[in-house]
Amino acid sequence: MNLALPLRDYRTPFLLTGLSTSLVAAVLLSLATGAVSIPVNDVALIFLHKLGLFQHVPVDDVYDLVLTSIRLPRILMTVLIGASLGVSGAALQALFRNPLVEPSLIGVSGGSASAVVLVIVFGGAWAIAPGHWLYNSVLQLTAFGGGIVATFIVLRLSSQLGQTNIAVLILSGVALNALSGAIIGLAIFYADENQLRTFTFWTLGDLGGATWDKLLVAGPLLVGSCVALLFFAPALNVLALGEAEAYHSGANVERVKKQVIALTALAVGISVSLSGIIGFIGLVVPHVIRLGLRPDNRLVLPASVLGGALLLVLADIVARTVVTPSELPIGVVTALVGAPFFIGLLLRAKRKHEL
Amino acid sequence: MYQATNISYRIGEKQLLHNVNLTVVPGKFTAVAGPNGAGKSTLLKTLAQEHRNYQGEVLVNGKSARVYSPRELSLVRAVLSQNTTISFAFTVQQIVELGRHGHRSTRRENDDIVDEVVALTGLEAFRDRSYLTLSGGEKQRVQLARVLTQVWEETLFPRYILLDEPTSSLDIAQQQLIFALAKKACSRNIGVMAIVHDLNQAVQFADDLYFLRAGKIIASGEAHVVFTKPVIEETFCCRVNIYRDPCNNCPYIIPERETFSEPRSVAINL
Repeated sequence: MNLALPLRDYRTPFLLTGLSTSLVAAVLLSLATGAVSIPVNDVALIFLHKLGLFQHVPVDDVYDLVLTSIRLPRILMTVLIGASLGVSGAALQALFRNPLVEPSLIGVSGGSASAVVLVIVFGGAWAIAPGHWLYNSVLQLTAFGGGIVATFIVLRLSSQLGQTNIAVLILSGVALNALSGAIIGLAIFYADENQLRTFTFWTLGDLGGATWDKLLVAGPLLVGSCVALLFFAPALNVLALGEAEAYHSGANVERVKKQVIALTALAVGISVSLSGIIGFIGLVVPHVIRLGLRPDNRLVLPASVLGGALLLVLADIVARTVVTPSELPIGVVTALVGAPFFIGLLLRAKRKHEL
Repeated sequence: MYQATNISYRIGEKQLLHNVNLTVVPGKFTAVAGPNGAGKSTLLKTLAQEHRNYQGEVLVNGKSARVYSPRELSLVRAVLSQNTTISFAFTVQQIVELGRHGHRSTRRENDDIVDEVVALTGLEAFRDRSYLTLSGGEKQRVQLARVLTQVWEETLFPRYILLDEPTSSLDIAQQQLIFALAKKACSRNIGVMAIVHDLNQAVQFADDLYFLRAGKIIASGEAHVVFTKPVIEETFCCRVNIYRDPCNNCPYIIPERETFSEPRSVAINL
């Protein structure tokens, strides 16, 4: 892949710095708001304390506890999941050569979710129960597996002579989502009272379960898969010409496809295992970025990392504040924004006779 | 040379190519003509290594094409497929730059090559236009520019471009332009192989001409020698008359009206 090609867009640095600054601001705002609101200067003070500075200024213990053991892991997880979903959406759109693709829409998230649900309900039979030291890893691994299987099925179903048949693609998504809905329904049928409540929130997306323990394994994996996906930008650019053309241009198409599918399934699968299904981030973010700028993936992918994180942090602030002290499921918030956006895209595509 | 030796290719029971021998010589324009379904595109895809489970051997500059990696092969040959659809709003400049994907050249070298090809193909005014807003002829010119960019720089080894009906659905001016550009590439030690639908264009531009029917080469040779009434009638099962352009003595054909001849079994020796 040739990295010596210029990006040729003077807005690139502005966009990336703008997104980074907004993300930092949103994270600070998110740390300060919630059922217990913590003034921003106290937030700063607590961080300085951890670094061994300003020890003579007293810190409110409640603030400290809320911030370090509840809010910080939650917001870190939100950032990582938002980034993963954003960049996975952008990468899958490039891979399928269609801007309407999104992990939850084409059934990748559903594949991961049904795998996770099966482990939660039936894992007890193999002594894999909450509390077991391997429990979280097993959940994440099966989520990854479910995501990979779903992506391969969709890719096989929807590709015709190296081109993506968009009707078949969307319908495969419908079929896979119906199937994973059935599997989740089946699991719910066998679930006990406790699991039942967990599922209901989890299938709507839930960022509330974040702990440092969970992030220990999941965090590096999410960061790793996001960063790795960025390196595929040149290959995904040339793939926009079509699979045969990408091969003629020197790309190892089969390898690129497999690696991008594995990485997106990893990013989406781990995200789903942490927070359930959060839809539309991967659809909205790359789209908004492409609206202003050209679809060069060397720009769209990193901007989707930042944009995805930003959007999910903002959505999380909304979810936590509109009905305090309770909170809305995050999936409800993203779907309320994302679904009308998707309908708008469909209308536009229909008007341009692209469907 | 880009050489197909005894290429056979089948999908299931269907034999699409049958012992095909073809040579693309650097600096020459080689055209392949034949009726629909003759296996022309299959031949091109086999040469390009898009189909790999063929029998026989494809030799690229004396080395078996099978041992080249996709990247190595992309430095030697570029391919223009029949229809390239793009669903993202890349600019013309970006599409042409994609031709440099497999190269390890510096930004400056890339820019120089892209600039040169963009000027040659008359695309300067379109550089920043979205590819999606272009007309069919403009799109095809952009794709040709991308393909030329891929093999444009002078190297020690000869390069090749393979064009699959590059002018289908273009008006005559655009058609002439595309072929003239391909012909220009020949002067840079590039061998051009093109599937050409219009026989008159084939004989006008080609140095070597191959006639393909039902996966077999019916006749091949120097364009002006092999372009004869019996060969064309045998290939296309259609009666034609050959005339000569009074200005440049180039032959051209006009098919006869409403006559169908049965495929003849006479062997044609040239």
